[in-house]
Amino acid sequence: MMTQTYQYEEAEAFLSKLRELLQSGISQEQLELQLPYHLPEVEQLLELRPGPLRFFALTGGLSGFLGGLGLCIYTALSWPLITGGKPIVSLPPFLIIAYLLAVLFGSLASFAGFLLLARLPKRDNLLEPSDFGNHFVIVVKGEGQ
Amino acid sequence: MDQLAAREKLEQDVLKGLRRPGKWYLLGLAFCTLLFVNALVLWGYQASQGLGVAGIMHPVGWGVYIANFVFWVGIAHSGTLISAVLYLFRARFRTSFNRTAEAMTIFALMVAGMFPLIHLGRVEIFYYLLPYPNQRNLWPNFRSPLVWDVFAITTYLIVSLVFFYVGTLPDLAIVRRRMTGVRARIYSFFSLGWTGSLGQWKQYSRLYLLLAAFATPLVASVHSIVSWDFAVSILPGWHTTIFAPYFVAGAIFSGTAMVIILMVPLRRTLQLQPYISIDHFEAIAKILLFTSLIISYAYLVEYGLAFYGHNQVEMELFRYRALGHYSVLFWLMIICNSLVPLTLFIKRLRRNLAYLFVVALLVNLGMWIERFILIVTSLARDFDPYAWGTYTPSWVEIGITFGSFGLFFMLILLFVKTVPVLSMSELKERL
Repeated sequence: MMTQTYQYEEAEAFLSKLRELLQSGISQEQLELQLPYHLPEVEQLLELRPGPLRFFALTGGLSGFLGGLGLCIYTALSWPLITGGKPIVSLPPFLIIAYLLAVLFGSLASFAGFLLLARLPKRDNLLEPSDFGNHFVIVVKGEGQ
Repeated sequence: MDQLAAREKLEQDVLKGLRRPGKWYLLGLAFCTLLFVNALVLWGYQASQGLGVAGIMHPVGWGVYIANFVFWVGIAHSGTLISAVLYLFRARFRTSFNRTAEAMTIFALMVAGMFPLIHLGRVEIFYYLLPYPNQRNLWPNFRSPLVWDVFAITTYLIVSLVFFYVGTLPDLAIVRRRMTGVRARIYSFFSLGWTGSLGQWKQYSRLYLLLAAFATPLVASVHSIVSWDFAVSILPGWHTTIFAPYFVAGAIFSGTAMVIILMVPLRRTLQLQPYISIDHFEAIAKILLFTSLIISYAYLVEYGLAFYGHNQVEMELFRYRALGHYSVLFWLMIICNSLVPLTLFIKRLRRNLAYLFVVALLVNLGMWIERFILIVTSLARDFDPYAWGTYTPSWVEIGITFGSFGLFFMLILLFVKTVPVLSMSELKERL
């Protein structure tokens, strides 16, 4: 089978063609889709799984939390001077730093994960952008392509 | 109009804003830049002469610099509320405001972050605030709320920048498609080669949700931490448990007012009426009204706690706030923050954009005064009557304060001409 390209102006026509192709036995691997905006129905049709991005967030968040807590405890112990009658390792204020670093590292790790999983930046497209504008596009790749 | 034509029209309408600037735009930009440059010169003067050129001295060691810091951090909050919290709640009207509100967050934080530095006696050693390995083995005191502030504001700024940039990616690709020459190349670089493939949209939607989830607790926590700069101390008027929620509500209140101040003229000058309806403004006006009620309640509770607690020092401070040296400002604050917003209970006024704009201006005036009163009166009237005093900002402080507004509006004007002010890819879902 040769590679075929279908182009639509409206979301409904695009979705019904996609449904038809999937019912005819076309596999997900053979499909390439381009969308002008995010269409959650496509993910439902293709039954896409949540993916690994959340693990980037979790890893970043956890390492930020533990790193923040570790930084506070390490620095407090490296000069153990009692101030204001507070314990050297004062957990309540240290938890604030740990929480903030969890948010910071969680966000940055998610962003890094996004770039990795979405394969961005795309070098070829930076130099010569290919764009389907406001059309919905389905490309069905031929076998072996 | 069919869907394709509607999407094309949306892009053309929104990208009209990126055209060559007109005379009024350039005049506005020049005026804001002048205010900012003036502030830089004054800051240089202060750095060379010492903090004595500012009006802050014993007993009022925190003046308008710290009031400005709290005010601008507060302005930032509404941006995250609109972009992240309303996204999680699936409020559709957010798409009319979120891009500008996110930009507002970043610029307000940049302005806010300058004030602790301006307030420092020796700004060249500001890096002592950061934890970095050093020969003396000295580290910041993580038990101090001032260090929590450094972490809170830095985290908030970086997360907001990432959130803003990720949100603009699909739109930057649209601008790239519609531009030519060097501008197309610049937008192509910043769009990272976005094509709109299913794989990219899939990761994008997941990332956006995750970032919204990370940013949402920051709406509550960052201004809570700023409030602890005061509440953790033992001064009358500051040492109170209601400060965190009170500050957060105040932040959303002033930030929402700033969104209205920015969006009313933008909607008119960029002719965005088809995409930002009066209903959307009414929804924002309801947030303004609701937060005004919370603020008014907090004012009442503060007085209730002071008098019910029967602490002489606390009672004297609150009497002083309403009837002392700063009483005119106090009552102006009550009028702007508690009384004027009550008129928004009337639907006709909520839907009148000129009226809403004036209310928003008054709210921001009132919120700036609130920060001033809260900071200055507690220091001017603490425990020992022998040490009481008053404070008047010097012309250096006033000039730097105006300069902060100049910097903020200068950045907003530059943003309007470089990034689409509405999120086109999100608005397309609504068409």
